[in-house]
Amino acid sequence: MNGFITALVLAPRNAAVLLLRGYRAIISPLYGDVCRYYPSCSAYTLQAIQEHGLVVGSALGVRRIARCHPWAEGGIDDVPAKKNHRYGVTPFGFVVAGRGKG
Amino acid sequence: MDFIGTILWPLKWVVELLLVGWHWLLSNVGLDPAAGLTWVLSIVGLVLVVRAALIPIFVRQIKNQRRMLEVAPQLKKIQEKYKGKKDQISREAMSRETMELYKKTGTNPLSSCLPLLIQMPIFFALFSVLNDAQHKKPGVGPLNQQLADQFGNAKLFGIAPLHDSFASQWSLMTAGQPYTVSVMIIAATMVVLMTASQFFTQLQIVSKNMSPETKASPMFKQQRILLYLLPLVFAFSGVAFPLGVMFYWLTSNIWTMVQQFLVIRNMPTPGSEAAKAREARLARKGKLVANDGDIITIEEKKPVTTQRQQPVNKNRAKKQQARPGDAKG
Repeated sequence: MNGFITALVLAPRNAAVLLLRGYRAIISPLYGDVCRYYPSCSAYTLQAIQEHGLVVGSALGVRRIARCHPWAEGGIDDVPAKKNHRYGVTPFGFVVAGRGKG
Repeated sequence: MDFIGTILWPLKWVVELLLVGWHWLLSNVGLDPAAGLTWVLSIVGLVLVVRAALIPIFVRQIKNQRRMLEVAPQLKKIQEKYKGKKDQISREAMSRETMELYKKTGTNPLSSCLPLLIQMPIFFALFSVLNDAQHKKPGVGPLNQQLADQFGNAKLFGIAPLHDSFASQWSLMTAGQPYTVSVMIIAATMVVLMTASQFFTQLQIVSKNMSPETKASPMFKQQRILLYLLPLVFAFSGVAFPLGVMFYWLTSNIWTMVQQFLVIRNMPTPGSEAAKAREARLARKGKLVANDGDIITIEEKKPVTTQRQQPVNKNRAKKQQARPGDAKG
């Protein structure tokens, strides 16, 4: 029962993870490397959604893209970490219950 | 209005304004306002405005790329450190260090994500403007009902409707209904032209405008994949998209090709083949300026002769100069 609720809570962000993985596999290679940051905007958004959920993660992603303009310095820009780290991440990127390695 | 519609609204308005503006201009110049060619040229005009607006961004990127020469030694050091390490952790660490170096030295050669993402909605906006015109629906702004009707009815060369796609004609053909073969021919031609221009652009970059450092990087491998992946994308979209949208894309591709050609010729990546060619060209003309402002010229090799030159009087010297074959040594 508890597992079911967790899966339900994690469903939106996992749907977004699937979408972003698809984008990174198919569309992103079409125009090569463009991002002035590390991790790239899509990788950043993916991590942000894994870490903070769909709403906050997407907002962080949008903010990052807005910062990724031609006059930006670029450089290393990691996703802000959450204080209490509750979930694990599978190799594909899905967020699951349990502390895992993430 | 749905969420995406709200985001696209201002872009659609601008796209319509540019389209209608060009159409008005071309009609006043004497072209038939209802002709397909006039609308195609309006789309071409739209591309010119959009791409011209993006030139400053492009120039900035090129300038950053030129400054890459300054960090080339450090970049090489990083690449050597991770040479042969193909595991993910090493790759990530390498990207991280490279990015840090770019930031520290202010030489980031990457173009950034925002301009790219801005171009996508323009494309979508154009797509929806054309799609609406197909159903003779007016746009959100300057494209009124009358113009939408005209656009919706416009046929290129009087035979190929701009709102039709290869796919729509194909399904008509398989259903045994009347279809327009010229739409299919034009769409197929455009796919071939787009693929050709893309290949040319990419080959120019890869063969002429890459420094040895870039050629050693994982980015280079990605460029190669891109070269063979894009024709597939063009073929797919060439089948699915209406002719009008395809014209936008084709013009945009040709713009990229010409822009790339000019950049490779006049501001090549330092250390690349094209840069060497440019230096040689300028030096021949005596116009190559070094970093400190000195003009570098390549001394043309004169045949070494041990024979003493006989002193001659002025008149004979002039004659000798004028003799063909002598002037160049």
